[in-house]
Amino acid sequence: MERDQPTGLAELATAVTRARIPGLEDLYVERRAESLWRLAAGRVAARETSLHEGAAVRRAGVLISGDGLDRSVLASLLGIASRTLPAFSVPRFPEPPSLEHALGELPTDWVGVRWRWTWAAVLTGRRAVTVARPQLAEATLADGQRALFCWPPVTATLPGSADVQSVAAVRAGKVRVLLAPAAAIVLLHELVGHPLEADLLLEGASPWSRRIGERIVRLPLSVTDDPTRFDLPGGFSADDEGTAAAPRALLAEGVLAGALADRRTAGALGVDPGNARRAGVHSPPRPRISNLVVTAGNLLLEPPRADASIEVLALASGTLERASGMVLLRVRRAFALRRGARRQALAPFTLAGTVETVTNGLLAVAEPSTRTSEPGWCAKDGEVVPTGGFAPWLLLDGLEVR
Amino acid sequence: MRASADLLMAALHSASEELTGKGVRFEVFARLGESARLSRDALGALERRSSREFGVGCRVSGGGCAGFGAASGRGARAGREAARIALGAMLPSPDPLPPRSVLGVTGTSLPHDVPDGDQLDAVLADVATRVSGGSHGVKLVQARILAGTSAAALATGEGFHATATAGGTVMELLVAPPEGPWRHFHFAAPVVSDLDPATITERVQETALLATRGRQPERQLADVLLAPAVAAPIVEALARYLTATGDRDREVRVSGVWRLTDDRLGPEGLLPLQWDGEGLPARRIELIQRGKVGERLATWEIAQRIGGRPGGAVRPSYRHPPAAGPANLVVHPAASTPRSTLLSRVASGFYLAAPAGSVRVDATEGRFGVHAAAVALREGRPVAAHPLVELRGSFRRLLAGLLATGGESESFSLSCAVTTPSLLFHRLEIA
Repeated sequence: MERDQPTGLAELATAVTRARIPGLEDLYVERRAESLWRLAAGRVAARETSLHEGAAVRRAGVLISGDGLDRSVLASLLGIASRTLPAFSVPRFPEPPSLEHALGELPTDWVGVRWRWTWAAVLTGRRAVTVARPQLAEATLADGQRALFCWPPVTATLPGSADVQSVAAVRAGKVRVLLAPAAAIVLLHELVGHPLEADLLLEGASPWSRRIGERIVRLPLSVTDDPTRFDLPGGFSADDEGTAAAPRALLAEGVLAGALADRRTAGALGVDPGNARRAGVHSPPRPRISNLVVTAGNLLLEPPRADASIEVLALASGTLERASGMVLLRVRRAFALRRGARRQALAPFTLAGTVETVTNGLLAVAEPSTRTSEPGWCAKDGEVVPTGGFAPWLLLDGLEVR
Repeated sequence: MRASADLLMAALHSASEELTGKGVRFEVFARLGESARLSRDALGALERRSSREFGVGCRVSGGGCAGFGAASGRGARAGREAARIALGAMLPSPDPLPPRSVLGVTGTSLPHDVPDGDQLDAVLADVATRVSGGSHGVKLVQARILAGTSAAALATGEGFHATATAGGTVMELLVAPPEGPWRHFHFAAPVVSDLDPATITERVQETALLATRGRQPERQLADVLLAPAVAAPIVEALARYLTATGDRDREVRVSGVWRLTDDRLGPEGLLPLQWDGEGLPARRIELIQRGKVGERLATWEIAQRIGGRPGGAVRPSYRHPPAAGPANLVVHPAASTPRSTLLSRVASGFYLAAPAGSVRVDATEGRFGVHAAAVALREGRPVAAHPLVELRGSFRRLLAGLLATGGESESFSLSCAVTTPSLLFHRLEIA
């Protein structure tokens, strides 16, 4: 977080405050540049670039947003005359980076790479807080799967991109599965991350409503939401209400420890704000996950393949059904295991179980922990923000194959 | 309306000025969207949004290269920036721009107005009161209403110019039955006044209470009757799959009951427009008919490269170049069969009443899956309820297995507009 004096944003914030606009909460301004390289057979076939700028005002519970970022646009959103606002400037749009320079040889199984740069500022009270975020890289594979990184993209083989000669259908029934970090982080994103978002806790839409402080996992598993990790896609220097970024413990050695809150919900839960995120200028800030970092005591030194019948490398998606409390994991890439070795690639299938099945079924946590390109883009009510993860392997018993 | 026209024209002019004399062919597309949205939670708290989005997208081609750029912001500046970016993004490519001779004419559609907040308030409050009222135990968790309009203009360096306007309203409800999963409902109409609170309430209460408790069914192949709300996203996924796969599925077996069109010109469907995403005159495109997969949706560039007719381009936003895809899908009922008659035709199968989540597509394998609330049927009678089943299958089976359609079509505003009746399929996978 930093004051942005040279651009005139502080003066703008002061002028907005002086205008005494009834019910004004904040003014949010954003610039975003994106480039998409379409790839074919390891070469760039086309490039599309777009530049976006806009602003949003929250006033008496109403979000009013518009494209454009000059005095007349801001004045129109604020409902005041343009002349009452001082001149200000915002950072120039950067030139898109060179894909060839970033990657060297382009992977032949990628069909697209997207780059995103974002700059934003929140004007609240007399303060102007700039919001720094990492530049993002998204790779799209030939099978349609997407992987999200901080720029530059990582060309190491992604789950699902390797050729598999034959796949077998998995038999229905209860199984013990070993989740690789890319799958483990999606499970914890759905099981711990979303249900600890304050709006869902207050709505009663979370299995953890009124259960903060309770032990839910026997293992000494810890999950922290950490927006200060700028090596992960969900990083930010301040949240989208201008609160300085700070790590937030959600699960501490198996005990529910905290919640993700914005200013509106923090008071009701007795927690600090700092987790408000916007999908763009036309979306209001809401409590959202940034980067989930998973750690544990008593880590096994290597994944316990001998103790599982299925190794799940990647999920297509994970869902925690609101109210019914069912966890559904749609498996994209997995192997059947026999005596600790991969025996057969498996066709996509669904793992299902109740929240209690999952929390009671976590048996072990193992190294190596890694950064993951999942969960990537996270949607909540159709509003999408980038998220990241750092996770170990998990051994999980009791889910049902469907 | 005058203000929006001025804004669009300023963008077209500034982009054209930037591109004229640069030795390129070009196309400039500008769009202004305005929307009002109102959301109400279980305790009656309201959240309001009002947004105005404006942007310009430019395609340029020349010297064996082509490029695309887009920019949002004020009219003239956004036009200039989009033009500059497009020139900078040029890479070796076939010319994607259709020639002037195939483009359409400017329509004269009337302007659409964004409804005022009071009108949205009144409709939402009426629905909320009705849904939460009574002794059925259904609670409203969240209700949203969104009304929007858009004005768009397109011009080319060869003198073509067209404008269009569109508008629509969507209401979404999340309700909690006395037990079982929460249910999501979606209603769409051209204008707010077409949303009838009484009809919406009746549909919500009836469907929310249909499958509140029950066991998971065994995995099986069964005849399946899809309510329009379940059928619509599957129909959209099928149309996108056929667009993407091209000729791969042209010769597969197709039920003679199918007739699926992209009714771009209307009058059927929710969202007719006068020209496609590249300015070609809108027309009805027969996607499936008479037991065959029909025309493939194609842009000008795709049609030149692989054959077929252009006119199947869509442009949901100025941010991206036009792409082939459905715009206003209509499943035409084969006969006006009431739903009760369709139910009686299911000797052993399921009625899927409401979707739970979006359709998942494996484009590589040509398969889809969706969760839904279901009722098991024997000889047309309900014998068990299943709060959450998964319907899976291949698009080939979907094409071959349509047995009958209902007569009562409903419209949905998904990634494109879809209008469909109930659809009865032979032997799809239920789990």
